[in-house]
Amino acid sequence: MTTSPGPFIPDWEMKSVSAARMRTMAAILRDPNPVHWDHRTVARWGFGERTINQGPLGLSYMINMLHAWAGPTSIRRIVMRFPKPVLDGDRITAKGWITAIREENGETLAECDIWLERNGHSTDRPLEGEATVVLPDTTDR
Amino acid sequence: MTQKAPPDEREIAALVGHKFPGGHYTVEHWENFLLTECTGADLLPDGQVHPVVLFHMPILGAGTTIAEMFALGQADSDFSIGIESYDWRMFKPLKEDVRYRIEAHITEADRRAHDDGRVYDRIQFQFDIADPAGDAVAQTIITWHYNRSVS
Repeated sequence: MTTSPGPFIPDWEMKSVSAARMRTMAAILRDPNPVHWDHRTVARWGFGERTINQGPLGLSYMINMLHAWAGPTSIRRIVMRFPKPVLDGDRITAKGWITAIREENGETLAECDIWLERNGHSTDRPLEGEATVVLPDTTDR
Repeated sequence: MTQKAPPDEREIAALVGHKFPGGHYTVEHWENFLLTECTGADLLPDGQVHPVVLFHMPILGAGTTIAEMFALGQADSDFSIGIESYDWRMFKPLKEDVRYRIEAHITEADRRAHDDGRVYDRIQFQFDIADPAGDAVAQTIITWHYNRSVS
């Protein structure tokens, strides 16, 4: 595991964002907004035929990337902005890199820039933000 | 698409300090299973709940709903809400079958305009989650834009 500033965090990929998962998520969230489950409503408003992924689901892809990298209890803070919607059928890759390493209360914390890329286009970033992740007590630093 | 006059700016500013009823929320295994599946991940070990729960668990546990939050800011429509940011701080892992206490209030509410003149109301909600011992487990801040079709 790389734990110094600069290197990229291993990618995490959602091969195809699923409308069915959006519908399940809408039920769990009790979110009545039809943009997440009714493509006809989305079309009527002129946004095309594809339903819009819930913001928290996009955020969850970042969480999955950070968990795979640093462990399931590693995230201390995550801040996310949503410049563009994620749509059903999109191929989304969660990406990130370490911007700084610091010590706090006996823990080694990595400050990271994180973002989502759509369909492999590095300039198409529907979500972007920052995370603070506690690093395991490694000996390879 | 009908255009609707924006609410009085003072009504929006008066939302600061609004407290939600507060309450409790317990994530059962079935909910964590479905939620985690939606993210494309495997279940986390030891009954840990996927952190994506930090969106809806505080909202519902605080005694409100997404629909009520839209209505409080007098949203024009479901399409008029934009997300500025979600800021989640996690102090302890969340676990299945634990009854968490949630309190929430509105911390900021004001009218703003984009550089191109489009008007929106920016409303920020803060949720505090504590475990049965009263220890802080997480804090989440939701900042939404209520876009107005007429300035």
